[in-house]
Amino acid sequence: MKRVLGLLSVLALGMALAVPAFSQSFTPTRPVEIVVHTGPGGGADVLARAMAVMIEKEKLLPVRVQVTNKPGGGGATAAAFLAEKKGETHMIGIFTGVWLTNPLTSAEAKVSLKDLTPIARLLLEPAVIAVKADAPYKTLNDFVAAAKQKPGELKQSGGSITSRDNVVRQQLQKVSGARWQFISFPGGGERIAALLGGHVQMMVIEPNEAGEHIRAGNMRVLAQVSDKRLPAFPNVPTLQEAGFNVTPVPQVRGVVAPPGIPRENVAYWEDMLQKLTQTESWKKYVAENQFEPAYQNSAELAKFYDEFTAQMRGILQEAGVKIVR
Amino acid sequence: MDIASGLLQGFAVAAQPVNLLWCFVGVLLGTVVGVMPGLGPPATIAMLLPLTFLMNPASAIIMLAGIYYGAKYGGSTTAILLNVPGESASVATCFDGYQMARRGRAGAALGIAAIASFIAGTVGVIGIMLVAPPLARMALAFSSPEYFALMALGLAMVVLLAGRSMVKALLAMLVGLWLAGIGTDLFSQTSRFTFGRMELLSGIDFVVVAIGVFAIGEVLANMEGREAAKALPVPKGLRNLLPTGQDLKDSRFAFANGSLVGFFIGVLPGAGSTIASFISYGLEKAVSRRPQEFGKGVPEGVAAPEAANNAETGGALIPMLTLGIPGSSTTAVLLAALVLWGFKPGPLFIGENPALFWGLVASMYIGNVMLLVLNMPLVPLFAQVLRTPAYVLYPLIIGIAVVGVYSTSGSLFDVWLVAAFGLLGYLMRKLDYPSAPLILGLVLGGALERALRQSLMMSDGSVSILVSRPVSAVMLSLALLVLLIPVFGKLNRLRLQAIEK
Repeated sequence: MKRVLGLLSVLALGMALAVPAFSQSFTPTRPVEIVVHTGPGGGADVLARAMAVMIEKEKLLPVRVQVTNKPGGGGATAAAFLAEKKGETHMIGIFTGVWLTNPLTSAEAKVSLKDLTPIARLLLEPAVIAVKADAPYKTLNDFVAAAKQKPGELKQSGGSITSRDNVVRQQLQKVSGARWQFISFPGGGERIAALLGGHVQMMVIEPNEAGEHIRAGNMRVLAQVSDKRLPAFPNVPTLQEAGFNVTPVPQVRGVVAPPGIPRENVAYWEDMLQKLTQTESWKKYVAENQFEPAYQNSAELAKFYDEFTAQMRGILQEAGVKIVR
Repeated sequence: MDIASGLLQGFAVAAQPVNLLWCFVGVLLGTVVGVMPGLGPPATIAMLLPLTFLMNPASAIIMLAGIYYGAKYGGSTTAILLNVPGESASVATCFDGYQMARRGRAGAALGIAAIASFIAGTVGVIGIMLVAPPLARMALAFSSPEYFALMALGLAMVVLLAGRSMVKALLAMLVGLWLAGIGTDLFSQTSRFTFGRMELLSGIDFVVVAIGVFAIGEVLANMEGREAAKALPVPKGLRNLLPTGQDLKDSRFAFANGSLVGFFIGVLPGAGSTIASFISYGLEKAVSRRPQEFGKGVPEGVAAPEAANNAETGGALIPMLTLGIPGSSTTAVLLAALVLWGFKPGPLFIGENPALFWGLVASMYIGNVMLLVLNMPLVPLFAQVLRTPAYVLYPLIIGIAVVGVYSTSGSLFDVWLVAAFGLLGYLMRKLDYPSAPLILGLVLGGALERALRQSLMMSDGSVSILVSRPVSAVMLSLALLVLLIPVFGKLNRLRLQAIEK
C-alpha cells in the first residue's frame, strides 16, 4: 500500500512537472484565424491585416494567418462567435472597448470580454480635439467658453453615443458646466465632412487623420485626448494641461481567445504577441499611426477590463444612456 | 499642374506593360467578383492587401481600383439573367433587365448594361480629371438637411415604381421603411425590433432582402405553374444576342442621365451607388414617353441604373482622393491600403503624388476599354445560361442565392432570413404587391431617418432647417413634383375622357 502511494506520488509529481514542460510545446499546426468585428477596411480589420503581414514577415508563427470578418451588432457578433468556439486553439480575436461597453447598453449582446480568454492588450489610440482652421476658437477654453455662452448651440460630430467621441464630450461638459450638441454620424468620413463643411464646430479625431487636414490648412487642433503629448503635436496641450481635470478614457485594442483554451495556449499567444510588439516593423507601424504602445499580459488585461467597465458605466449613466446590465 | 500634361504623365505610368497587366488582372477579378453575388469588392480588395506589399504602389492602386469599377460591370449579369442582384447597386437593374431576359432579350440587356457601364465609367473618369477638387469642396456644403431631401426625393420615386395599385405600393414601401428601422439605433444605442436576437442588432442586410424577395420569390412563383417552368427563350444567332440600333437609340438619354446622376451622387460621402441607381431609374421613367412600358423590359430601364452605378465609382473616388474622406466601404478599404503603403491620403495627396493620381486616372480609361472588350464577347455566352432547363436552373438560382448571402455575412441566420423573405416575395407576387417599393424603403429608410434626426439636432428641433436651405428646398420641391405625377396623369385622363364625351 505504502509503495503504491509512493508510486502514485511520484507519478503525480512527474505530471506536475510535466505540465510546465508541456507548456512550451504548443505549436500551431494549421492556419491561425484572427477574428475582427468590422468589415474590411474597419479599424480592427486594418490592424489585423497589418499584424498578419508583420507576423509573416518576422516569422513569428510556423503557419499562415488569415483574417475572418464577423461584423455586426457593434462587436456582439464577433464576441459571440469566439464564445461559441470554446477550446479552439487556433483562433484569436482583436477586441476594442466596444466589446466591453456594448453589453452594458444592449440586452442582446450577451457575450462580454469577460466570457472570453484575455490574451494581451496591444495599444491605445490617442485622439485630438479639432476645429475648422477658420474657427474663432484658439484653445479648448475658447470653445468651452463659447459653448457656455450659447448653451446647446455649438455642435460636435462623432460616432454613437457610447463612442469615445461622446465620452470626451460628457467628461468636458461635466467639469466645465458647458453644454453642446452631439450629432452621430455612422461613417468616419461623414464626421470629417460635417466639420470641414462647417455644419458642426468640433470633433474628436484620430491624430493621423487630423494631421493631413492640418497640413493642408483645413483644421486646427485644440487639445489631445491622452495622458502625455504625442510626438507629432509637441505644442498641443493634453486635456489636463489645458485645464480640464478629466482622465482620458483610452481607446484600447488587444487580443482575446475563445474560452476554455489550455494554459499553454494562452502562454504561447502572450509570448508571440510580446515578440511582435518588440519587432521593428511593429514599432514603425505604431509610430506611423501615432498609437501608444501599451502591451499588457493576460492577467493585467483582466484587471484593465474591470477598471474600464466601471469608468464607462459611470460616464454612460451620466450621459443618460440606458444601462441594461 | 495642367490637365493635359498630367494626363500625359499618367498614360506614361499606366501604359507600362506591368501596369497594363495589373490593370487587366484587376478588371478581370472585378468582373468575376461582380458576377458572383455576395462576395463584393471590399472583401476582395482586403484579401489582396498582403499581395500588394510586393507590388509598387502605382500598380497596386491601379489593380485595386480595377476591381472596384470592374465589379460594377459584372454586377448586372446575375441581375439580368437570374433576377439575383450581384450587389446592392444592381437591384434596380433587375426591374427591366430580368423582364428583357424573360422576353428572350437577355443578350440585348447584357449588352446595353456593358455599353452603359463603359460610357458612364468613362464619364466618371473625365469627371475626376476635370472637376475633382472644386466638386469635393462643393460636396462639403451638403449636410444632413440636404441628405434628407435627397433621400425624400428617392423615396418619392415610389409613385413611379408602383404597379396597378398605389395603395399596395405605399404599403410595400412602409414595410421596407420598417425593415430599415430594425437594429441598434445610432443616436440612443437602444435596440429596435430585434426580438432579443443578437443577429438583428446591426439590422437586416439589404442584400438578404433583395435576393430573397427577387430571386427566391421569382423561383417559387415560377415553379407553381408547370408550363411556365420551361426554359426561357433564347434566340439563335449572334446578331439576335446583341443590342439593336433601336435599343441604343432608346437608351441614349439614359446613358447621359445615369452618368450624370451617378457621378454627382457618388461624390456625396453619405449617399452611395444604390441610391444613385434608383434615382436615375426613376428619373428615366419620369421623363420617358412610354413610362407604362417600364418594368416590362425596356432597354433604357437597364441603361439608366447601370450607367448610374458605374459613374458613381468615379464620383466616390473624388472625396477619397482629394480629401481623404471615404464615402463607401470600398473606398474605405482603398484608403486603408494607401495608408498601409505609407502614403498620407488627405487634401494634399494629389499634389504630392501626381504620378500616382494621374496614373490611376489614365489606367481607368484603359481599364474601361478593357472591360468593354472583355464583357461584350461574354454576352452571348452568358445568355446561353437561360437555355438550361428549369429543373437545373431553379435549384441553381437558389444555390447561388444562399451561397451569396452566406458569403457576405458568414451567418446561417441570414440564410434563414433569405428563405423568409423569399416566401414574402412569393406572397407579394400572388397578391400583386410590387416588390421594388419595399426595396426602395429599405435602402433609403435608414439614411432618411438619420439625416432627419441629425438635421433636427442641428436646428434644435426646428423643422424649418429642411426648407430654409436652398439645395434642400429645391430637392424637396422636386420630390413633391414627383409625388404629383400620378395626379397629373389622372387629370389628363379625365380631360381626354371629357373631350371624348
